[in-house]
Amino acid sequence: MKVLSLYQDRDTVVHKVDPISKILYIIISIAIPIILPYKTIGLLCMSVSIILLLIAKVFKKVIPLISFSMIVLLSIIIIQGLFKAGNKTPAFHIGTAIFYKEGLLFALEICIRVINILCAFAILVLTTKPSDLIECLVRRGLSPKIGYVLASVLQIIPQMTATMETITDAQRSRGMETEGKLSVRIKAFLPLIGPVVMNSLINTRERAMALEVRAFNSKASKTFLNEEQNGRYNKIIKIVLILLLLLAVAWRVLI
Amino acid sequence: MKKIIVENLKYRYPLSNELALKGISFEVDKGEFIGIVGKNLSGKSTLCQALVGLVPHFYKGAYGGSVIVDGLEVLKSEISELSQKVGIVFQNPFTQVTGSKLTVYEEIAFGLENMGISREEMRERIDNSLKLLDIYKFRDRNPFDLSGGQMQRMAIASIIAMKPEIIVLDEPTSQLDPQGSEEVFKAIQNLSKEGMTVIMVEHKMEKIAKYSDRVMLLNDGEIVDYDIPEKIFSRGDLDDYGVTAPVFTKICVGLGVKNKITGLYPITIDEAYDLVVSYNE
Repeated sequence: MKVLSLYQDRDTVVHKVDPISKILYIIISIAIPIILPYKTIGLLCMSVSIILLLIAKVFKKVIPLISFSMIVLLSIIIIQGLFKAGNKTPAFHIGTAIFYKEGLLFALEICIRVINILCAFAILVLTTKPSDLIECLVRRGLSPKIGYVLASVLQIIPQMTATMETITDAQRSRGMETEGKLSVRIKAFLPLIGPVVMNSLINTRERAMALEVRAFNSKASKTFLNEEQNGRYNKIIKIVLILLLLLAVAWRVLI
Repeated sequence: MKKIIVENLKYRYPLSNELALKGISFEVDKGEFIGIVGKNLSGKSTLCQALVGLVPHFYKGAYGGSVIVDGLEVLKSEISELSQKVGIVFQNPFTQVTGSKLTVYEEIAFGLENMGISREEMRERIDNSLKLLDIYKFRDRNPFDLSGGQMQRMAIASIIAMKPEIIVLDEPTSQLDPQGSEEVFKAIQNLSKEGMTVIMVEHKMEKIAKYSDRVMLLNDGEIVDYDIPEKIFSRGDLDDYGVTAPVFTKICVGLGVKNKITGLYPITIDEAYDLVVSYNE
């Protein structure tokens, strides 16, 4: 079963932490380097995220994410290294292009922040089941309707892709050309997309009825099948994170 | 005790000129098993949806007459309120999967969570309904990974878990193999014996004949007949309404074998067998 999600099912400490703590971690690991704009702090936050990813055994999955963002980061390094206002000390040169130290250091700071943000989000995305995250938010007052939309999209879009494939096969078996030149593909598009859209409209209506009769609009206060993972360590994690944030603010104000 | 009272129900879908239901009146007692038969477009599904409030609340459209389900007037009640009294299972099992749950077990919990049932009771009800429909072994599977028949059982289980007093089934066994549909019918019959009122639309006449207490014959939005299955299937004009009698009845009609006491043709295999044997002696 295809599900639109990057979740990696492992049994580690990081997986057991509740989603809210992870969201808090994202916020704080982004906020601290902004409050304390030193490279060492940025590096520290980044290393903490990477260590957490390693503990969760999902670091391999982050590498493609980071390497994808490398294209952007590389352009930042080149542009800042060559053209940043205030560039004075030349570091090295490739041909006639001279890279300056100030620009490169500034670029390095941006790179650290970007990778830090990516890693922090990766912890949430790779180690939390989407359904757990949504349920957690619904418990904290997110409308169950929005929660349903978020949760069902992850499963229903792959289902629609599967329907699309079935319809493509059906049309192809009736002799329709779906591959080849661009003009052929465009011609094939309409007879394919028509049934898919009609089909999903009908399905949506039927599903809406099925939800209605399962008391979806009930005014009774909702209960949950799964117990909330609310270990004591989750509370400790949250308190520690908030203390760190306060500490960072205090440091900035005092120094 | 009357569970369902329908009086002169008329209904027209929006954007349509013709009435889908043309003045239907009937009553159903508590614990009865009612079969609804009729050809396509005769109004069977519309009638089912009128019992749970989807007609008129979901579709809108023009509505006349009254439907009273377990003391609640459908027109004045909300679907979520009605859904705790009367459950409905639709034809297409695929669209009855909510899509927001990752396992069969959680999928069945969906309705219970909305109703606000406590966790312990939820678990008990889910286990019961999974076992009743014989899908307990699939409880940790993804709902979309089930076969059509298993999904259909899951759809029935998820309604049964909500413990409605009335259950409406609109062709619930269309994707099941003969053995599977027999099992589902037996499970539903058990519920009916426990006091649940059952309304079922079905094209498998042998099953309807075997399990129903009364059969409603619909044609073109009107009730043609509403009586015990023997009387319905002994009618000579069934073909006019696009319905065929159970195969056992047809054989006995061909042979001219009737039950001497009631003067009606037999409708189940056992009854037909006994009558044919005694006829030949």
